[in-house]
Amino acid sequence: MPIYKAPLEDVRFVLDEIVGLDKLSALPGYEEATPELVGQVLEEGAKLCEEVLFPLNQSGDGEGCHFENGVVRTPKGFKEAYATYIEAGWQGLACDPAYGGQGLPKLVNIMLEEFICSANLSFGMYPGLSLGAYNALSMYGSDELKQRFLPKLVDGTWSGTMCLTEPHCGTDLGIIRTKAVPDEQGGYTITGTKIFISAGEHDLTENILHLVLARLPDAPAGTRGISLFLVPKFLAKEDGTPGALNGVACGSIEHKMGIKASSTCVMNFEDATGWLVGEPHKGMRAMFVMMNAARLAVGIQGLGLSEVSYQNAVNYARERLQGRSLSGVKAPDKPADPIIVHPDVRKNLMTARAYTEGARALGALVAYHLDVAERHADPRTKRDSDEFVQLMTPIVKALFTDIGFESANIAVQVHGGHGFIWETGVEQYVRDARICQIYEGTNGIQALDLVGRKLPQDMGRLLRHFFHPVGRDIEAGMEDDELGEFVMPLAKAFAKLQQATALIAQKGLKDPEEAGAAASDYLRLFGLVALGWSWLTMVKAAKAKLAAGDGNAAFYEAKITTARFYMAKLLPQVNSLFITITAGAKPLMELEDAAF
Amino acid sequence: MKIERAAVIGAGVMGAGIAAHFANAGIPCVLLDIPAKEGDRSAIAKGAVAKMLKTDPAPFMHPKNARLITPGNLEDDLNLLADVDWIVEAIVENPAIKADLYTRIDPVRKAGSVVSSNTSTIPLAVLTGGQSERFAQDFLITHFFNPPRYMRLLEIVGGPATRTDALAAIADVCDRRLGKGVVHCKDTPGFIANRIGVFWIQAAVNAAVDLGLTVEEADAVGGRPMGIPKTGVFGLMDLVGLDLMPHIAKSMLATLPAGDAYREQVREHAVITRMIADGYIGRKGKGGFYRINKAGGGKVKESVDLKTGAYAPSEKARLDSVSSAGRDLRKLCEHPDKGGRFARRVLAQTLAYAASLVPEIADSIVAVDEGMRLGYNWKQGPFELIDRLGSVWFAELCRSEGIPVPALIETAAGRPFYRVEDGKLQHLTTGGVYDTVVRPDGVLLLSDVKRAAGKPVWKNGSASLWDIGDGVLCVEFTSKMNAVDADIMAAYGKAMGLVGDGKGVWKALVIHNEADNFSVGANLGLALFALNIGLWPQIEEMVEGGQRTYRALKYAPFPVVAAPSGMALGGGCEILLHSDHVQAHAETYVGLVEVGVGLIPAWGGCTEMLARHQANPKAPRGPMPGIAKAFEIISTATVAKSAAEAKELLYFRATDGITMNRDRLLADAKAKALELAENYTPPEKTTAYVLPGPSAKAAMELAVEGFALQGKVTPHDKVVCAALADVLSGGDSDVSKPVGEDHVLRLEREAFMGLVHTTGTIDRIEHMLLTGKPLRN
Repeated sequence: MPIYKAPLEDVRFVLDEIVGLDKLSALPGYEEATPELVGQVLEEGAKLCEEVLFPLNQSGDGEGCHFENGVVRTPKGFKEAYATYIEAGWQGLACDPAYGGQGLPKLVNIMLEEFICSANLSFGMYPGLSLGAYNALSMYGSDELKQRFLPKLVDGTWSGTMCLTEPHCGTDLGIIRTKAVPDEQGGYTITGTKIFISAGEHDLTENILHLVLARLPDAPAGTRGISLFLVPKFLAKEDGTPGALNGVACGSIEHKMGIKASSTCVMNFEDATGWLVGEPHKGMRAMFVMMNAARLAVGIQGLGLSEVSYQNAVNYARERLQGRSLSGVKAPDKPADPIIVHPDVRKNLMTARAYTEGARALGALVAYHLDVAERHADPRTKRDSDEFVQLMTPIVKALFTDIGFESANIAVQVHGGHGFIWETGVEQYVRDARICQIYEGTNGIQALDLVGRKLPQDMGRLLRHFFHPVGRDIEAGMEDDELGEFVMPLAKAFAKLQQATALIAQKGLKDPEEAGAAASDYLRLFGLVALGWSWLTMVKAAKAKLAAGDGNAAFYEAKITTARFYMAKLLPQVNSLFITITAGAKPLMELEDAAF
Repeated sequence: MKIERAAVIGAGVMGAGIAAHFANAGIPCVLLDIPAKEGDRSAIAKGAVAKMLKTDPAPFMHPKNARLITPGNLEDDLNLLADVDWIVEAIVENPAIKADLYTRIDPVRKAGSVVSSNTSTIPLAVLTGGQSERFAQDFLITHFFNPPRYMRLLEIVGGPATRTDALAAIADVCDRRLGKGVVHCKDTPGFIANRIGVFWIQAAVNAAVDLGLTVEEADAVGGRPMGIPKTGVFGLMDLVGLDLMPHIAKSMLATLPAGDAYREQVREHAVITRMIADGYIGRKGKGGFYRINKAGGGKVKESVDLKTGAYAPSEKARLDSVSSAGRDLRKLCEHPDKGGRFARRVLAQTLAYAASLVPEIADSIVAVDEGMRLGYNWKQGPFELIDRLGSVWFAELCRSEGIPVPALIETAAGRPFYRVEDGKLQHLTTGGVYDTVVRPDGVLLLSDVKRAAGKPVWKNGSASLWDIGDGVLCVEFTSKMNAVDADIMAAYGKAMGLVGDGKGVWKALVIHNEADNFSVGANLGLALFALNIGLWPQIEEMVEGGQRTYRALKYAPFPVVAAPSGMALGGGCEILLHSDHVQAHAETYVGLVEVGVGLIPAWGGCTEMLARHQANPKAPRGPMPGIAKAFEIISTATVAKSAAEAKELLYFRATDGITMNRDRLLADAKAKALELAENYTPPEKTTAYVLPGPSAKAAMELAVEGFALQGKVTPHDKVVCAALADVLSGGDSDVSKPVGEDHVLRLEREAFMGLVHTTGTIDRIEHMLLTGKPLRN
């Protein structure tokens, strides 16, 4: 049976030392987000995840969703868990108080989301999609539309979906076929088929609000002709409660490799009534603006899976007795040593640990800037933070989900043969993690976004928000002898990143295929340096805490030790990545299509 | 015969401008108009000169040139004509009034002097009809374009009686001293440029109306894709003035042959007629096809709807034909959208018209192409455009548009109108054979050199080295906008390596290219990218490397002659400062503009300007005046508006040369290089800069404060000026201890690196690159 305990101490450390909770509550509108309140919220959230959501994770995977006569049944216990979730107000944690939300910073919500994803990724899909629908509607909906639909979305009585993908297009949304035709009442009639719609149909709420991309009759071709519509499952009665069924139906659900308790639906819209959200033909632009938050959320899914995988791997490695340590017997009174003593197991555990903790710190920093971008009083600061987030989201999404998959596999490996058995519970994480590398823009697309859009934009302006602070921290770190073993490797890796960046910019200008060929390696390289920067920051904080005699010394020592591992054993991958990047596109593209 | 003194009669826009340009050429010029009714009788001519001194763009290359004009009037000052070798008549286009004038000046003018008319509509025969035989022999037409200083075309028409030596002398003066591209035309209506230009404008307007294009769409198709300035047709008409168009049409109709295709094109468009009646005549009025609507305190660019005549906010043209065709003219014409159909029709009609006019308006196609290039700023003339389409394809296009295929196209029989044979450019004659394109005597064009050589001596991504003969090596920039980057520095290094001590195969280096602009400065895009990823060492190396290279050029054991034309800014100016000699085109616009992007000149620009201004014999004594002047020029990013002005700012030395005709620039530069190569010794190092240090810096900062009080200085200006002051004051030096070049160059580097770390400078660089305009932060 798998285990999970929310990593509250590490989250506290990250929030206090890396982000600085006082900076958060200094943002206009967030005055109430004091360290005390945030701490309480996270503790309560942790309990919910450990006690209510986690127990349903394995059973939900075993049972899966069931589809019959247009109705989708979620696994046993999900409906009750959802009711508990919304009763306590978790759905509206970071939503606008004007519509019933608690108005807490996005950063806090994201830290909570990590716990949810660790505990029960499938469950997390439902409130996650609702939050996506909430974002779309609150950013672009008219006041009238918001008044009508936001309150129940915020309190969770209704849930939401994002309906973009169609059978013939996922990545390339410019060619969608779903149509929207104006009706006589100021609304629209929507017809089309969407697939892979998470939470499209289920038994958790009395209504489902679909945010649908469709084309108007006079729409220009391509992405410039896409509009966003709100299409509820049930049309409202006079009193606002759900009435007649709209022209929306679930055609079937998918049988998937993972997140089996999440209902992934084919949605058929047939003359469904809907309303325009935002301006005609500006649907894709709205999508792009929301993409930062959405991609960050998927990255956090990867982080959550990495954490729970790591915990289970450690748990098993402590208990499982096999063989003796290479450096002398460690448990003479036992028939064998616990496998945690073996270097290879160590390597696996340290890898998952270093990646997870590094990603947590980096993710929190990016999430913090999401709040700054929205709330800060100074326009320049807002813009800078927004650009930092734009730059980092493809990295967070791709790197963290790769880490999630890698850690999940590490957990299976550490468990040996037992890891392969369903009942043990860890192979589920591998299966659940796999989709995170694919949806919300495949990791390959994230890499292209990084080198094709973010890197060249305005001659590299977005890059400044990363390269300058990192450069400064390295320069400052060089002055401190004690930091040498951390700063020097980071400095070397950073130099490689700079060179790779200049090279790709130069080559990519002349030949976009060169940029495309280097993209994934480059994203990984960039991500490794970013994690290295996070580790340097954590080391400085840990050393300061130790010097001040504050808090849990063992925790800080462990931070420093893990940082050492990261710098010595994981960061050096940048060297081979740099070499493969310089090798160019030719070795990749040379083989004729026919020869494959 | 020699032309030493000139006169212009008629002080209107053209006449006064022509007089100013004579002055620019150093030719003393009398300017006469009718006497004023009250007050100073020469007020009209005097007023014209005064007005020109305030006009922008300036007709005078330097205000002091105005002194070469002697204003007068036609009653009191006719005697002044006795001294003059060439009289230009630029009065109202009325044959009777002109005839009267000619009759009056003929008896008083110098024997053997030349009289030319600036007419654009009256046949030469009409002008000489009724005048004496002697007058006809001395008479020709010299058609200047507006404005006379800047437009390079000079259409020259000799009559049957015109003396050959007179024609030759005038052509020569226009070429060498006025710097014009002289094109010999036949005496036909509109000569070459306007004959075709007026047709083209009418055809384009008709096509736009018939095919339902907006003015923006017509200008988008009929502009850049065809190598025509982006003003297209409607923007051009706004510049010329819509009110002129009916007059031009009338005069053309009166003089064109019966079957001329223009007659079928001429059409009145109700919308345009109404616009003229309502005063929407273009830029000189309250707007034309485009206007700026200032209602409600805003500034909205509007355009007229060709169907209704109503104005609406100008919408950028979005045509698939334009975006998908790129530079491919055939693709543009083949596109089914209205842009493509517009291109087909206008190109077919205009190019067929042009092709049908040879030999009627000129003996060779070369004259026609030159006329359109120089007179209308087309990148390629009609026959060059036909070659781009292919004459067979073009013939097919004509047929499909219902236009008779011109005889010359049939003569071409599928062959191109221009070809390169044995490295020489040749053109097809009306006889159907190829003839070498002849350049005027003494002209050396880099493009001819390149054609003959085929391959350069050496090249890299941003520069090529060419052998321009007699042991002179030429460095040609080929980067985008001729921006200076590491590759150009490498090319200099390679060139210096090849020339060695200058005593071998190579004797001298010339730096020259034929682009519109010599160089707009360092490649900021690369610099900004490096800045954004924090590659400070690489940026510092870029600065230091540039300093090293420019200094190596300055002290090389052989002459380095730069031959710029157009803009030479920033790093493109600094190379001129380090050359032994600059042979500049008169229209060279040189300046150290680094402050506009939050930087200071750091490739030796500050060091050189300091040396020149401190050594300036015309400045007051002591170290400060030179420092103050250099500070003033650099801190205000002063750009000289002519080579003459550049000399005054000491961007050019007194010994540097000015060439009026751009085509003669390279030949002049090469001759100078060879002259310097005889017994060449490198310049002395300016070892002693007397720089007061902190007190000088304080003085400069005080000056900035003064400007700040007037509201002329922004916060970041102060930061940049402070960095500049650090350099020009000598840093921590003092008057008793003169410093060397190395000291000042180091200060340049330090100041530059300091600035490059500031947000204000990064913002300025970024803004310039993204918008093309300086950021006033």
